[in-house]
Amino acid sequence: MKIKQWIKVCMATTAILTLAACSSTHKPTGSDVNMANANSGATSSGMGSESGFGDQASNGQLSKRVYYFDFDSNIVHEDDKPAIVANANYLLGHPGAKALLEGHTDPRGSREYNIGLGERRAKAVAEIMIARGVKPTQLRIISYGAEKLAAAGRTEGDYQQDRRSVIVYLQS
Amino acid sequence: MRKIISLAIFALTLILPYSASAILSMELTRGVAGAIPIAVVPFAQSGSAEQDVSQIVTNDLQNSGRFNVFGKSALNQFPSDASGVSADYFRHLGTDNVVVGKVDSLGGGRYQVSFQLLDMFKGAANVGVVLTKKYAVSGGELRDVAHHISDLIYQQITGTPGIFSTKIAYVVVQGTNPSRYLLEVSDQDGYNPRPLLNSGEPIMSPAWSPNRRQIAYVSFENRQASIYVQDVASGARRQVSQYPGINGAPAWSPDGRKLALVLSKSGSPNIYVMDLASRKLTTITNDSYINTEPAWSPDGRALLFTSSRGGNSHPQIYQYSFGSGSITRLSYDGDYNARASYTRDGKYVVMIHRVSGMFYIALLNLDSGTTQVLSSSTADSASPSIAPNGSMVLYDTVYGGHNELAMVSADGRIQLRLPSRNGEAQDPAWSPL
Repeated sequence: MKIKQWIKVCMATTAILTLAACSSTHKPTGSDVNMANANSGATSSGMGSESGFGDQASNGQLSKRVYYFDFDSNIVHEDDKPAIVANANYLLGHPGAKALLEGHTDPRGSREYNIGLGERRAKAVAEIMIARGVKPTQLRIISYGAEKLAAAGRTEGDYQQDRRSVIVYLQS
Repeated sequence: MRKIISLAIFALTLILPYSASAILSMELTRGVAGAIPIAVVPFAQSGSAEQDVSQIVTNDLQNSGRFNVFGKSALNQFPSDASGVSADYFRHLGTDNVVVGKVDSLGGGRYQVSFQLLDMFKGAANVGVVLTKKYAVSGGELRDVAHHISDLIYQQITGTPGIFSTKIAYVVVQGTNPSRYLLEVSDQDGYNPRPLLNSGEPIMSPAWSPNRRQIAYVSFENRQASIYVQDVASGARRQVSQYPGINGAPAWSPDGRKLALVLSKSGSPNIYVMDLASRKLTTITNDSYINTEPAWSPDGRALLFTSSRGGNSHPQIYQYSFGSGSITRLSYDGDYNARASYTRDGKYVVMIHRVSGMFYIALLNLDSGTTQVLSSSTADSASPSIAPNGSMVLYDTVYGGHNELAMVSADGRIQLRLPSRNGEAQDPAWSPL
């Protein structure tokens, strides 16, 4: 590298520092706005007390919105289906409501491949809901792969917590 | 490879000039005998400088694994130019290559840095001057000039360009529930980390444009995966892809005009190529398998990608040829191969490789089809990224319960770690030269 080029690199470096500093203070980007959302529990089990759902038939199933999966599997456990159906029924009764279906994997393997695996888990939940008549427009699927782990550790028990799909109701 | 006894001949912790901001530093965890001997004589210094230029050169050359450096502690003669060098002294020490130099204060925070690379067996007086250079720089530029000097020495002696002035991009995750995600760029030795994005939602898969001016990455801000292209110098960015579902794994074409990427708008993750000027998409795969992690061949005529099309839901590496439109399976060893990229000569593929449930960085020889494991196990995962001169592979690994960055030489003999000081470091990408 010639010295002129090199000086340019240095100037660019300085510019990065300056601008990075500026952008963090002046630009309320989507990320910053989203911070509030993230704090409200993108990885937790949903709306909690604010939801006020009055579905008497659900027997508490409606509040169960995290479903776990076996290793390398996107097959929904039989005992999770009543809760998924209860949430489907809620969406059927509230056509204006929208739900985000998150798919997650454990941290093993390639990050981007895990994005693909996580999407399949979210889709498996979506398919059950759509089969019950929920409009696809009420659902949005997002795969976080292994980027939002439920458990920080690396034991098989932690991995079981990580492999999940989560229903998050969106405020419209 | 795993059976090689770790030599650990050299471990250093760099003294950080501003440790609050520097989150990474290098430690050589496994070295090798048989490297090229070179003496780096501490540079004569008038006044005090912010950076020890000759120490940075020493660290660079030592960490490359290609050199056995005689530094300050190994020397008792400290010449600062060719005229003061005793060829006999350095020959007796066992090195023909000697670096001398000085840093002179010019006042006003500026310095003149001069150095010479000498060969003890060349020239009339038995001390040949191979390189001689002089630079006038500010104090803040001393690290960069030191890396530049290392590049010149490395190229002169090995014939391969040095990578000491390159950058790395990576993601730092801080805290849990909620986490903060930062996209950072630092020097290749982990110094001077600078944030490009700070988000409450995940950031993934940074990818450098071939001219090193832009980085494409995936951001989940607003709970939607999107691909952005951000200007490294100005910080200005634009969203280039936000289709429903997955928007992932961006990869720049060698001419910098296109991005290969992954979208699941068809219902499954498939590979597309986007023309960046028109945003027009070309479909590369169109099926219901998982297809991801496209990587361009150096000549731009082929794409590597990871796919589950082989069955068992286990990913393998495939190659798509733009000329014929055909897809060929490349990897057969191991039940899980992913995240492939070509070496610069296009003869090898670097990838994640699983053996008996453990993940490794491996090199696939495209001529012979053989797979060579480079690293010791990387625990859960890894995101290998090859250095622009092909000498090293950067990846993330778990060390002491934390995600951090590490490097392994392309021959597997050298391993380095860049301990994270500020959170979990992951998903690294090595810049072009």
